[in-house]
Amino acid sequence: MATHTTAIAEESVVNPIAKREFLGILRSPKAFGVLLGLTLIFSVAVLIRWPSAGTVDLSGTQSIQVFRMFGYGLLAGVVFLIPAFPAVSIVNEKNDGTLALLLNSPLTPLKIYLGKLAGILMFSLLVLMASLPGAAACYVMGGVDLYSGIGRFYLLLVLLIVHYVTLAMLVSSYVHTADAGVRITYTVIFITALLTLLPAAFFVGDAGLIGTAANYLRSLSPIPVLTELMQQSSPGQRGLISQSTWPRFALFASVSSVVCAMWTLSRLNYRIFDRSRAQGVMTEDRSTGERLIRRLMYIVDPQRRKAGIPWYLNPVMVKEFRCRRFGRSQWLFRLVAISAVLSVALTFAAATSVTAWGTETIGGLMVILQVILIVVLTPSLASGLISGERDGSGWELLRLTPLSASKIVRGKLLSVLWTLTLVLFATLPGYLVMIYIQPQMVVQIKLVLICLLLTVIYTLAVSAAVGSLFRTTATATTVAYIIVIAIFVTPLLIWLGRDAPFGYQLVNAVLMTNPACAALSIIKTPGFEIYDLLPGAWWISGTLSVLLFGLFGFQVWRLTRPV
Amino acid sequence: MNKPSLSNDVVVQTHELTKRYDEFTALDSLSIQVGRGQILGFIGPNGAGKTTTIRILVGLSRPTSGSASIAGADCVTEARKIKRLVGYMPDDFGKYNNMRVGEYLDFFGAAYGIGRRKRMLRIDEVLEIAGATYMKDLFVDALSRGMQQRVAIARTLMHDPEVLILDEPANGLDPQARIDMRIMLLRLAEMGKTLIVTSHILPELARVCDVVAMITKGKLRAFGTVDEIMRDIKQRRTMEIQLVDSASVDTVTELTNAWLKNGNGESTAEPAHAEAIVRFSTSLTDAELAPLLGHLIERQQLISQFREVPTDLEDAFLSVAGKGEDAPLADSHPTPADNEAVEA
Repeated sequence: MATHTTAIAEESVVNPIAKREFLGILRSPKAFGVLLGLTLIFSVAVLIRWPSAGTVDLSGTQSIQVFRMFGYGLLAGVVFLIPAFPAVSIVNEKNDGTLALLLNSPLTPLKIYLGKLAGILMFSLLVLMASLPGAAACYVMGGVDLYSGIGRFYLLLVLLIVHYVTLAMLVSSYVHTADAGVRITYTVIFITALLTLLPAAFFVGDAGLIGTAANYLRSLSPIPVLTELMQQSSPGQRGLISQSTWPRFALFASVSSVVCAMWTLSRLNYRIFDRSRAQGVMTEDRSTGERLIRRLMYIVDPQRRKAGIPWYLNPVMVKEFRCRRFGRSQWLFRLVAISAVLSVALTFAAATSVTAWGTETIGGLMVILQVILIVVLTPSLASGLISGERDGSGWELLRLTPLSASKIVRGKLLSVLWTLTLVLFATLPGYLVMIYIQPQMVVQIKLVLICLLLTVIYTLAVSAAVGSLFRTTATATTVAYIIVIAIFVTPLLIWLGRDAPFGYQLVNAVLMTNPACAALSIIKTPGFEIYDLLPGAWWISGTLSVLLFGLFGFQVWRLTRPV
Repeated sequence: MNKPSLSNDVVVQTHELTKRYDEFTALDSLSIQVGRGQILGFIGPNGAGKTTTIRILVGLSRPTSGSASIAGADCVTEARKIKRLVGYMPDDFGKYNNMRVGEYLDFFGAAYGIGRRKRMLRIDEVLEIAGATYMKDLFVDALSRGMQQRVAIARTLMHDPEVLILDEPANGLDPQARIDMRIMLLRLAEMGKTLIVTSHILPELARVCDVVAMITKGKLRAFGTVDEIMRDIKQRRTMEIQLVDSASVDTVTELTNAWLKNGNGESTAEPAHAEAIVRFSTSLTDAELAPLLGHLIERQQLISQFREVPTDLEDAFLSVAGKGEDAPLADSHPTPADNEAVEA
């Protein structure tokens, strides 16, 4: 009897959702990949920085170098891999119909939420535990304090994990598809982690309101805190007088986590299933006056009936544009307009207020901004080109039409390429302003634009090819994001260690794998100007793109033929 | 609405069609023929091989052996021709987000190479046929199941195919929508389209189909018109003896069994005490069964009714599905060749 009572008590203590969520994540191949990948990263990060000489480094510089490598690697892993799980957690339950069952059970929304949160956090804890041997190795080398170094680093990671997990779950409660959850979560993380650093980097000498606001904005990113812990200067740091961003970031992450958690909790009820899909009144059915106003207000009216697809356009391409929100003309125009305005504003602001920077730094920042835009947009647009169709049974219908595999491939790739090229060329005004300031940069800018175009093509090839290997869009999007981000972040991480332990040759070779790095080198961004990356970077990215497009084409051909 | 007249002009034909996945045989020597303007009801439990057959017919799958053709075009070697001849509506709708119904149909029309002007007219035509004109400006992903089925029919008709293959078109529809769907199928057949329809809602099929193919475990168990299959099933019919009082159920059961044993001993009567009924299945004719009634009355049994349980397509299906693969019914049923002879 006593045993029976204990068993019941034990059962009631363990939240059934936490258990299921944790086991569910552990059983997925994705989790296995994450654990294996991160363990490898930690091992390699420590190993490549481990001192090989038989001398004792009393200054502790070597151990700090090892700790930096380990720290950046672990942070990158946590930022890019963990959010993939909570980003699909609620939306998958909603779409599979199990959320309705849970809400119909005696479990309260709080218990459901905490169960899901606990399951994901338990998995995150497992990831952190897998990194402990690496941290222990750093500590053993000496020079890194247990509490102020390693302890605070892990505290930062815990804060960050809770922050991103709650944020991703909030996103997941709003979206209608798993891949949208992944896409939006990564975009928000990208914005809070990287884009928030840019204003501070621009207004670095500004003590006024804008400068202060930029400095506060910088505190939203975990990177300044990490660089502080790694005893390095951080992007946007105010000269020698540096104020710790720790308290601000800790406050922001904690408040954000609580707000996101409460917000998500407020959505865990039957209203989560409501989906208003107002059809709107078609413009053709409105009065003449209303039609005139809409004609003036919209460049492309979303409520107008579309003319049929003309014979000269690939129907698959038009379909892709039409069924994507950002493919819709009115959205595309907005995106292009924002990019154009931003690029001009950036160049103008740099030219007028931060003249000490010079065009090289401004150009470098513009390239980085464009690369961020490419990295954020491309996997989101290209990874689901095939898996999206297979997910929603559209692939079967496409196979039934007389469309050839090559026409499908061309249509799908062109739909992404056009969007990205438009966005890329929208930033041309910024470069024109730059040429106006420094006319001798024409050739450099031409080369930069070729590099950026190649970056677009290369990223598209990677995203499309990787995405076509998976059946579900959510997995395809997650893997494509991870690979694309790895392609762009890895050379930068190696570049960070350009003085030691990596020599010039190795850094040059690694940077050559990415055309975006070549763009930074051409524009002579500080730190990149010494590397000679052309035409090697073009050849490498060009060849890889051709191979990856080949893989994508082969996948489409394989999937269209009768089995 | 009258059913379309049967035709001898064979449009869909399979011969010894077989599909194997390693050791598993999904389809085993399937031979059927469907004439122009006919509606074929394709019946079978889940995993029977219906979808495999359909996928071969529409060119999505290759048979291991045997052949299939539509309007003379081989389903394997002339896949591109087949795509223009066939309109296939799978069980899944295949929606695209953020697209309106008009745009959705425009895309499929363009994919089939229909010119823009003709396509715009065709969209209105097919929406009208499917009773979905009012849906033209609605978003595809916001449609209800019934609306989706109508749009799917419209999509299937866009390139004006000769043969329509509809997988579970009545699935998930409410009674009114089912009636509408039935009327639409008959209308399409009247237009000269040949239809192959799979459904689990058998009474629906019985009302519209000219020919029925029953398939289990990849083998054709029965093929013929609904009447022919019923006639065959009726060779063994279920009889019920309704008694006035349930107290005499056991006595009547014993008497019936004894009478049946004296006859040919082909079956055993079963008592249903709660209903005061004795039930048995038999192949005896009415004339042969009549003495049983006299026999029971002579023995002072109070009988209120002596009746045959009506048989429908569901019974036929259960009867066919209930038999193992060792006893294929297609042998005893009319073959496609027999059908032609009967029609002639």
